Amino acid sequence: MQHIEWTDDLNTEIEVIDSQHHRIVDYINKLAEISDSNERDQVDKILGELVDYTLSHFAFEESLMEDANYSFINGHKRVHQLFVKRVGDFQQRFKMGENITLELLAMLKSWLINHIRSDDNDYVKTVKANMGEINMTQGDGWLTRSVKKFFG
Amino acid sequence: MAYIEWTEDYATGINVIDGQHKRIIHYINQLGDAQNLNESDLIDEVLLNLIDYTLSHFAFEESLMEDVDYDASAIHIKTHDAFREKIDTYKKRHEAGEDIANELYKLLNIWLVNHIKDDDGSYVPVVKTNIPEINGPEKQSWIKSKIQAFFK
Repeated sequence: MQHIEWTDDLNTEIEVIDSQHHRIVDYINKLAEISDSNERDQVDKILGELVDYTLSHFAFEESLMEDANYSFINGHKRVHQLFVKRVGDFQQRFKMGENITLELLAMLKSWLINHIRSDDNDYVKTVKANMGEINMTQGDGWLTRSVKKFFG
Repeated sequence: MAYIEWTEDYATGINVIDGQHKRIIHYINQLGDAQNLNESDLIDEVLLNLIDYTLSHFAFEESLMEDVDYDASAIHIKTHDAFREKIDTYKKRHEAGEDIANELYKLLNIWLVNHIKDDDGSYVPVVKTNIPEINGPEKQSWIKSKIQAFFK
């Protein structure tokens, strides 16, 4: 299974978001590496980590959009929910003993790339402008605090 | 079937929605290309992208209509539901090994394109009235940069 190659059009220019997206891509690539090996324990572990991390990332991203009063936050949240449900369905099938890795990987790759390029791109201007304002009034510390709040 | 060219007829004037429609049309055209090349792996990949992205777009659009209390949203959602069902049937046939690409390509060409032109046009004024800030000058330049990124 082919890895996701990071290309420039995946950069949102919001550093903290880009590094989270990178981490998600790393998880997907790890999953791709072991997809041929049929090691269910490993797949289970990485899939669990991927889901946990992605949920934190969504919560973080949604809070940035909320802070910035992004007009389309509810649509964006709905797209996140739909994705969480779909991955949850895959996890269920996996638990029932099905071999879902390749199908899941294809979905993850296509979804993530589409989502970053189109949906995430749309909030960048609004969120970036708002982050600049917060930085000016509260200093950089708020970002560290926000990241801690969602990622522990 | 010929390439679908994006024309002003398709424009809703809501940048985020236009961006999503453009991406769907781009995938329909890609599916046509993949069929011409007769490469089944490529057809699979584009089909997955197209279906996945369309379902995600529907969820986004439905949430937007709810946000602005669009009074015909129930009908619009029903139309989406009917389409989701169709897609689901095609997916199952595809998984069973049937060659559905040509049939689906034709359906998308007709159904989706008409839907964008006609049905989507009717919720646009309501969205624009309720979310006026969506058409600011900043967003206009952003969509330009996105079009350049995807369609150069």
